[in-house]
Amino acid sequence: MSDATEKWSDDQVALVDLIDRVIGGGVVITGDVVIGIAGVDLVYLGLRLVLAPAHEVDQSVVLGRRSA
Amino acid sequence: MLLYAVVPPDAAAPNGAGLGGHRLETIRSALAAMIVEECPDRLDATNEDSQTFAEILCNVATTTPLLPIRFPTMLTTRSAVLAELQAHETAWRSRLDELHGLSELVIRAQWPEPDHELDAASRRSGTSYLEGRAAALRRRDASVAEISELVRDWAREIKVLPSQQGIRLACLVANADMPQLREAVLGWQQAGDHRQAVVGGPWPPFSFVVDQEAESA
Repeated sequence: MSDATEKWSDDQVALVDLIDRVIGGGVVITGDVVIGIAGVDLVYLGLRLVLAPAHEVDQSVVLGRRSA
Repeated sequence: MLLYAVVPPDAAAPNGAGLGGHRLETIRSALAAMIVEECPDRLDATNEDSQTFAEILCNVATTTPLLPIRFPTMLTTRSAVLAELQAHETAWRSRLDELHGLSELVIRAQWPEPDHELDAASRRSGTSYLEGRAAALRRRDASVAEISELVRDWAREIKVLPSQQGIRLACLVANADMPQLREAVLGWQQAGDHRQAVVGGPWPPFSFVVDQEAESA
């Protein structure tokens, strides 16, 4: 296990996994979403939107290119 | 309107406030219902928000089976929520029935990776590096199989999650079986030098909202 991980308690590791599941799991539904970071609206979409952890997005981008 | 979870239509309305400080509400169709919070169609989706959202779901899950909605998902009107419910209520109700009494545990298992071998190999040649990578992937696959077999008696479904290091397995487990599964994972950890394993949960079934057999069909 890496040094970075060794510094974390089991509870902290589990919390990271829980947050990963909150944004990477669950039922996916279409909707209108505005995401704001630091008070700036970054995204407004009236179409299908999926938020996922970066490694899963990378995978979907690769798959998208293959299917294109 | 922020969406939290799909629940049975006869589920009691949840107590307390949601992420935005507004009361949690339940919108019901014939076969399913959805827990929502009326809030502005704009959200600062921070890690703290994700954690609060998870805590709310974990709290609701103590009183009713639920299918979590991926965070953050918002719909603009109640009629849009109702339309989603009506479009999917049969499948959601069926899955809710299957998940009754089950929760998700996530096993994160790691072991000493011979990264120094990879580093050394990468300095020798590209072929050596690729051989090292292939060996690492074989070790990973073997570990997934080993842990899956270890928890097979208690995990109704298993899903391999992406992981930067080691492996992560999401397991769908009956609440009564969780102590045995935790004990088995602890035994795995103690059986080898420098092995480390963490079992997170119990959580709502984030990784099992869709039946895996139906998903792969």
